[in-house]
Amino acid sequence: MMLLNVAGQLDPSDSKRHITYGFQLDQPAAVMRIRFAYWPKLLEDDGQAMEFIMESIDSYVAPEHQGPIREGWRRYLPLKNLITLSMDDPNGYRGACHRHDAEQSLFLSEQEASEGLMPGKLALGEWNVMLSAHAVVTERCSYDLSIWTEEADTA
Amino acid sequence: MRWLASELHTHTLHSDGRQSLRELAAGAAKLGFDCIALTDHNTMSGLGECEQVQQETGIVIIPGMEWTTFYGHMVTMGLQNFVDWRKAGRSDIHEGISMVHGQGGLAGMAHPFRIGSPVCTGCYWEYEIRDWNDLDYIEVWSGTFASVKPENQRAFALWTERLNAGIRIAATSGRDWHEQKHTDEPLSVTYLGLDDEPGTIAQQAVRALAQGRASVTIGPVVTMEAESGGTLYGIGESVSVQNGADLIHLHVKIDFSVRQTLWELPEQDFSLKITGNSGTLAQCAAGSTDQIYEFSIPADGHIWARAELWGIVKGMRTMIAFTNAIYIS
Repeated sequence: MMLLNVAGQLDPSDSKRHITYGFQLDQPAAVMRIRFAYWPKLLEDDGQAMEFIMESIDSYVAPEHQGPIREGWRRYLPLKNLITLSMDDPNGYRGACHRHDAEQSLFLSEQEASEGLMPGKLALGEWNVMLSAHAVVTERCSYDLSIWTEEADTA
Repeated sequence: MRWLASELHTHTLHSDGRQSLRELAAGAAKLGFDCIALTDHNTMSGLGECEQVQQETGIVIIPGMEWTTFYGHMVTMGLQNFVDWRKAGRSDIHEGISMVHGQGGLAGMAHPFRIGSPVCTGCYWEYEIRDWNDLDYIEVWSGTFASVKPENQRAFALWTERLNAGIRIAATSGRDWHEQKHTDEPLSVTYLGLDDEPGTIAQQAVRALAQGRASVTIGPVVTMEAESGGTLYGIGESVSVQNGADLIHLHVKIDFSVRQTLWELPEQDFSLKITGNSGTLAQCAAGSTDQIYEFSIPADGHIWARAELWGIVKGMRTMIAFTNAIYIS
């Protein structure tokens, strides 16, 4: 049964923002499945990337060490979008998948779960899924997210 | 006292590591570690196999989690329950730290000066700190061959500056270990001094860090005791001085027997320094054999002291080991 099916679009101003979607689990299920994807993953425009990198060097590297790091700026290529997903069931946190994969197929069940998520009862009630936009470096970044359940016999 | 060879910053497949907990612990055992803290990004789901892996590998596993947020990475360890990392805005990390403490955990700044977003998202510490006494430690040596990296030298200088300001805060190393890949670069080890109080070894290790009983090295372990008025004080403890004119006697021990064959330093005259709030208080040459060195420093005007071992590593003169501070009050 489909519980959530959403899509969205982000831009660099969405960096450092959490986006939360709530959904209801009304019927007992054996497995909850999550598919999350975002694109593009990489900032292909080296000129744009160079600007971001130089800004980072200005903000974060001590002035006396900036010279050689500026020269070697290409070692930070390619810059990437990073959006991570975390879950909450009606009783609390169910884990996060902090990794760079731009396409993730995840599942939750009582005995097992995808790495990062915690196995446990699929409690009925209000659930939340949170997307954390750690960095959006491309002009546009699209995502889609769907969550559905499967019954015991199809699990 | 038993000094537990620990790696306090690690990741597995449960976040962005490329290793299972089993592979991580087996790799740690091969490198002579006794203990790891599992500090996956924003999840503690990897601890599911903790008991079994401890038994299989003999490696003590401290439960932890690296808060991997927009404004900084904060390593937490020693807590059993999850604390929500998602609510902390730039000016309210103290609420998060209090919740970590409430769960019996410790909180430390991870690689505070690593380049930040978008190159490495949230890697540079940007949280406002209103009370430094709230943080338990700073990871001053991050990665491999840590002591020569400018970002770590900045972190080390930050630690020294905080000590000078009268803050009692510990310093650690952490490889930020993501995969089983051989490196020829020196590995840092944080040795944690275990007490005889009750609890598991993991709990003793967390308590050691909470009390600043830690010594960091890429080779020999350096430990120190201070003697004043007939009483001995260990690393992390506070020497109480009755009379400002008193001398404090420091006994510094260098132990080359640890993790034998797993590290190598060229034969040389090392330099052993005692550093405190007024800079270098004393120094002498040190050879490559186990030995205890004695120093006397005036108590007057000093609020902390640590030992540092310096030498040549891969052609570079650098710090090889340092103890945490002994405080003077």
